[in-house]
Amino acid sequence: MTNAPRSAPGFLYAALRVFDLSLGDMLWSRRTVFMALVVGMPVLIAFVARSLVALGAPIMQNTAMTGPLIFGLMIWAFFVRFSVPVLGVFYGTSLMADEVEDKTITYLFTRPIPRGAVLVGKYLAYLVCTVCVVLPAVVIIWLLIVPLKGSLGASVIDLAKDLGVLALGLAVYGAVFALIGAALKRPLLVGLIFVFGWETLAMVLPGNLKRFTVAYYLQGLVPHAMPSDSPLSLMQQIFQDTPGLAQSLISMAIIEVVCLWLAARTVARREYVLEQ
Amino acid sequence: MTHRTRYFLIGSALIVVLGVGTGLVALNGALPGLSATDDSELAYVPGDSTALAYADVRTIMSSEFRQKLRQVLPTGDEKDRIHQEIGVDLEHDIDVVVAGFTGSDPTNGSAVVLVRGRFNDARIETTAVQHGAKVEEYRGKRLLSWNHGAGGVEPTEGHAMAAGLSGPPVVAFLEPGLLALGPSASVRRAIDTAAAKTDITKNAELMKLVNEVRGGANAWVVGRFEEFTKSANLPDEVKAHLPAVQFLAVSAHVNGGLSGTILAQTRDDQAAQDLKAVVSGALAAGRLLAGQDQRATTVLNALQVGGTNKTVTLGFAVPSEVLDVLSDIARGQMHGAPERKQRPR
Repeated sequence: MTNAPRSAPGFLYAALRVFDLSLGDMLWSRRTVFMALVVGMPVLIAFVARSLVALGAPIMQNTAMTGPLIFGLMIWAFFVRFSVPVLGVFYGTSLMADEVEDKTITYLFTRPIPRGAVLVGKYLAYLVCTVCVVLPAVVIIWLLIVPLKGSLGASVIDLAKDLGVLALGLAVYGAVFALIGAALKRPLLVGLIFVFGWETLAMVLPGNLKRFTVAYYLQGLVPHAMPSDSPLSLMQQIFQDTPGLAQSLISMAIIEVVCLWLAARTVARREYVLEQ
Repeated sequence: MTHRTRYFLIGSALIVVLGVGTGLVALNGALPGLSATDDSELAYVPGDSTALAYADVRTIMSSEFRQKLRQVLPTGDEKDRIHQEIGVDLEHDIDVVVAGFTGSDPTNGSAVVLVRGRFNDARIETTAVQHGAKVEEYRGKRLLSWNHGAGGVEPTEGHAMAAGLSGPPVVAFLEPGLLALGPSASVRRAIDTAAAKTDITKNAELMKLVNEVRGGANAWVVGRFEEFTKSANLPDEVKAHLPAVQFLAVSAHVNGGLSGTILAQTRDDQAAQDLKAVVSGALAAGRLLAGQDQRATTVLNALQVGGTNKTVTLGFAVPSEVLDVLSDIARGQMHGAPERKQRPR
């Protein structure tokens, strides 16, 4: 019997092992109940609307609204502007913070794996977990709403784009908030201020401030028209400056890679002091 | 990974795949009931048509909107005259009307109108012959041609050209319950098209747009934008400033009220963005300016801008309440006029 020293696993293997461990924990946690509520609300609304139409309620008569238009508005209001950033904040900022709070980060850091791989693995778990809840919800809403004065066939391309945009949004917001979670002491508060303060304000102001938000690039990819449901939306439409497809994709890819790399680097270098 | 987690992931992926798969099947027209029309009439519309129009006459005629419209607008005697002369009740005998336009070149035939419904072919033929029509056959289809004009008067070339017709008017019995109307060249070309199977459904560019607009609409028209601008006789200066719109489509759903969508497809994404920005900006500015004006706000709220990469859409609605208001105004004018005469000033 030989006692040859085992070499430490590589970064990718280590990240996948952490992903495998974290996915189940993340999926069956209390946070998922919150996610189910956030995502389940639009599904419930769609189901109620469809049931009312099926029962003969005249809610779709005398209106310019068609199923695809309503679906587009729901994508904007419930997902692009709310669910995606909020899920990014709540999950992204807690990737490392939960381990610190539960004082379990020691067990992860004593394993012979790169520290950055812990964050990347947990980030991948977050991404799979949220994508697997959000995308099916969007598909169910689409199946319920679009056939109302609309055609599934004509809007399937938009659905595919929506799914891609939402997955990309979750990925980029997750990376940004993973960095904030890894670097700052009160990441949740900072994350909420970023989403509902900074991004909201920068998007309605004329000039180039909006280029320092994720929403600017994400909203440029949404295939549906922006709803004009509030004064802020109206202002945003007046000062509308939509980036092109290539600009949005490249910018989001850069934000994603840079934030994730910085987050992994921060975790690798930072000294976490567990409060007794 | 636990079994529970694995099943969740598989279930989630399955919902997405099934949903997108359903959409793709519907996109290829394999799901019956998701399209507003079947394509049997389209077999007679030439593949190089520049515009296509469709109306589900039966649904529109029986709609609440139409009933209210009839109260507002006076009805003409033309409908009754057609009913008496050829035995076709426009309101009850016609189900669907499809029209194909092959551009302004008369050598290609200008337009053909296909009417599906319940017709008494023998009565139509007898009445037409009594009014000077000549019966002939073309590729096994019976044609009623008004070559000599009503009352035996030969129509001049100038008449036909002025009416935009390429040849004398013709009615063809294509199939049981399907008539073709139009200039001789157009109707003959429609018959040739069906025989050669070179119909509009082979025109992928136009049919893509047709499939987009016809879901849920009971009347629509799709065509190349340049054809619309040609017929609109716009000044060259205006044409030069129009954005690079390739196709224009208008679809409407008539039921209790009238709702619909105007769709413009541009050459590229940038042109669509510019057009969308202009329309959205105008609507947003309109809403700000409307302020407390409830009527203006209602009208603007009935307009919804949308669209994807190369398309811009504008949804609109005319609620039945608007017709009620118009009806009241019309009634008020009818009853008010004599009163005003009698009232001393």
